[in-house]
Amino acid sequence: MKPYLQYLVILLDDTSVAYCHANNPLTKRNLMPIDTLKKAILFGMKQNLMIQYVYPDYELPAEYNEVIESIDHVKIGKDVQVLNEVPKAVITDNLVLRLTIADFIAHQYDLAALLPQVKRLNICLTDMESFTDAQQENYKKALAALNAVLANLYKSQQQPQVNILTDRLTLTEMHNCEAGIGNITVAPNGKFYLCPAFYYDEKMGISNRMNHKAKDASRSIGDLDNGLEIPNKHLLYLDHAPLCRICDAYHCNRCIWLNDRLTWDSNTPSHQQCVIAHLERNAARDLQQQLKEAGLQAGDEIKEINYLDPFDVKETW
Amino acid sequence: MKKLVGQVTPEEKNEIQTLFERRNGLNELAKILTADNAELYEKLVKDMGETGTKFQNWWNTMAKKYNWEGCENGNWEINFDTCEIYLVDGTCSCKK
Amino acid sequence: MFGIKEQQLDWNSGTSKTITFIVTKDCQLACKYCYLVGKNEKERMPWEVAKSAIDYVLDNENDPDFATEGVIWDFIGGEPFLEIDLIDQICDYIKSELFRRNHHWFNSYRFSFSTNGINYDNEKVQRFIEKNKTHLSIGITIDGTRRKHDLNRVYKGTEKGSYDDVVRNIPLWLKQFPNASTKVTISSADIPYISESVLHLFELGIGQVNINCVFEDVWADGDDILFEDQLVKLADVIIDRSLYKEFACSFFAEHIGKPMDCKLRNQNWCGSGKMLAVDAVGNFYPCTRFAQYSLRDKEAWIIGNIHDGIDKNKLRPFLTLDRCTQSNPECIDCEVAEGCAWCQGENYDAAKTHTVFQRATAICKMHKARVRANNYYWNKLYRKLELEGKREEFEKTHPNVKPEIC
Repeated sequence: MKPYLQYLVILLDDTSVAYCHANNPLTKRNLMPIDTLKKAILFGMKQNLMIQYVYPDYELPAEYNEVIESIDHVKIGKDVQVLNEVPKAVITDNLVLRLTIADFIAHQYDLAALLPQVKRLNICLTDMESFTDAQQENYKKALAALNAVLANLYKSQQQPQVNILTDRLTLTEMHNCEAGIGNITVAPNGKFYLCPAFYYDEKMGISNRMNHKAKDASRSIGDLDNGLEIPNKHLLYLDHAPLCRICDAYHCNRCIWLNDRLTWDSNTPSHQQCVIAHLERNAARDLQQQLKEAGLQAGDEIKEINYLDPFDVKETW
Repeated sequence: MKKLVGQVTPEEKNEIQTLFERRNGLNELAKILTADNAELYEKLVKDMGETGTKFQNWWNTMAKKYNWEGCENGNWEINFDTCEIYLVDGTCSCKK
Repeated sequence: MFGIKEQQLDWNSGTSKTITFIVTKDCQLACKYCYLVGKNEKERMPWEVAKSAIDYVLDNENDPDFATEGVIWDFIGGEPFLEIDLIDQICDYIKSELFRRNHHWFNSYRFSFSTNGINYDNEKVQRFIEKNKTHLSIGITIDGTRRKHDLNRVYKGTEKGSYDDVVRNIPLWLKQFPNASTKVTISSADIPYISESVLHLFELGIGQVNINCVFEDVWADGDDILFEDQLVKLADVIIDRSLYKEFACSFFAEHIGKPMDCKLRNQNWCGSGKMLAVDAVGNFYPCTRFAQYSLRDKEAWIIGNIHDGIDKNKLRPFLTLDRCTQSNPECIDCEVAEGCAWCQGENYDAAKTHTVFQRATAICKMHKARVRANNYYWNKLYRKLELEGKREEFEKTHPNVKPEIC
């Protein structure tokens, strides 16, 4: 089934916590006006969307709480803890860890030690664009280190999820970030964006492309008064992504923002995105083999492949 | 006048086409290289000799292999698109 | 051989890398349909930039993107021959370097030019031609009859047509390159002159007339009907006077106008991304149409430069493009899809977002009109051949020529 719009991400403030690949460069508080918040909630209700509030690191005025609590929701930055460094211990079951690739590699054993404490760990690499082929081996080793702990935990009936390793075991088709088609973001200015990163870019005047002209500088895809309008929306779907639709790194984020930034086309992933996703896919395969050898169920067989970037074998499609 | 006298394989055609291209390239390079550039000039002269020899050898070998019709003062020509060999001459009996 | 002139393909079409030098953005003319919106007299390529570009390309001989069998060194403007001294220096350097480096392209290269033909008989241009004779491909653009040509191809700053200055050079050009072809561009205003123009070019001795409608959204209501009428008129003359034996016009092609399957026939039309263009400041583009002077509404798609090389990520969209992903459902289901062309640069320029995956369809009704006229042409020709008892021979002997792609 094609993805359909299910989630509305509401950035409560310009300084709301970054919870995905893109860092939030905005430092000046700019709280979403309460009327805008009400409109956003109303939009979500009418479109039957699950609300995900993204919190800043300060307490909101009391009157906001009543509005926020008027609908079912998830609080990112509260219910879902988001950290930018590896903690010694975790206080929630559901943790988002935003790390540079170097930090992920450097703290692989600290991360492994956290695994028995979490139900779900989402690892977001924050500098994927600078991933080099020379880092492949170390990234692979770090994934293997986590795998070793995961395998033991699974054998002892604990089943912590780690997005970059265990998601692939259970997926039988692409399950990506789905910005714009599965979820959209509304910013404090009342405008819609594919995801928070596009809002940050617009606010910072950063364009994804050099010498952006004003005509193309706005990154919004509609607003709460006039509704959503996503130009070339079909290009966000998997069937319009030539590289991704033949790929089986099903857990890959397929980050539209990174695509836009690195290849300039929202439906085309960068070399970095593909290589990282395939290193993870192959690590998931290793984990699967270990679990199967231990007689555990570990999903459909992940096949052995001889490439890390589907682009390199495009002649064989 | 031209007369079709045979055909070579695409691989054989590629061989002579490469030599033909190289010979043309060397000839045009010769127009701009002078003896001042001693190293390159020497390399060019050597290559022109070698390519010329390979070129002639190809025709000799193919003529022997396929036993094409020929005549005094006649030349063979190849059509690179079709691999066909033509006998070309204005005076020999083949055109009559 | 059977007596129908087959359309020629470009030299080593499909097996060569095209590397384009935008040597100048200046031109003597200001053609009314020209897509180059940013022409100017200032941006002329310095020798150092050209040399660095060549060095970059040749230093990367082992890069898969440069591993083609051959290479076409292409020179474009503006009007390239305005920079004949630079071009001469570039070509000399390329030849010497290919040879010095034992580069495999030494056995397979061409220098290619699209010129307005005004300077063709210039002494320096002629000296250059003489020097590089066996490696040249030169196309002179002449649009047809004087009134058709002068309607669009006028001198900069005046309304003076350039026909006389071009046509005087055609005999010399054809003497030097007997198989040369010309490229004719059709926009809305000159549809009434298509038939007379193609016939005029045949009369001038040009054996192959490559002709296409502009891709931009310029077409008025009824243009397609006028266009079809012109092509039918042209078809009548070509067949009635048996001109098809010696001349070819690319509008009439046997293969076009059929539906296309998304699995079996899904290749991209355009070669952008497989080509490389470099401009006066040393920026690289996937094709000249992505340089700023070619774009109305979008920013240049710069994929790198002579100092830092090519950012391969910026090429990925181009190299994964296929026909169906960029086409809308109407194009995918079109019953006359085959032969319908597009320009990736125009697609990008006209797209709603920053993408090369949105096919511009302004040309749709013109393609459909062409298909109707083309069907008429082949049906009429087949019947004629049948009546002359030559149909069977034609079916057996004519090669299956595929369309020339951009």
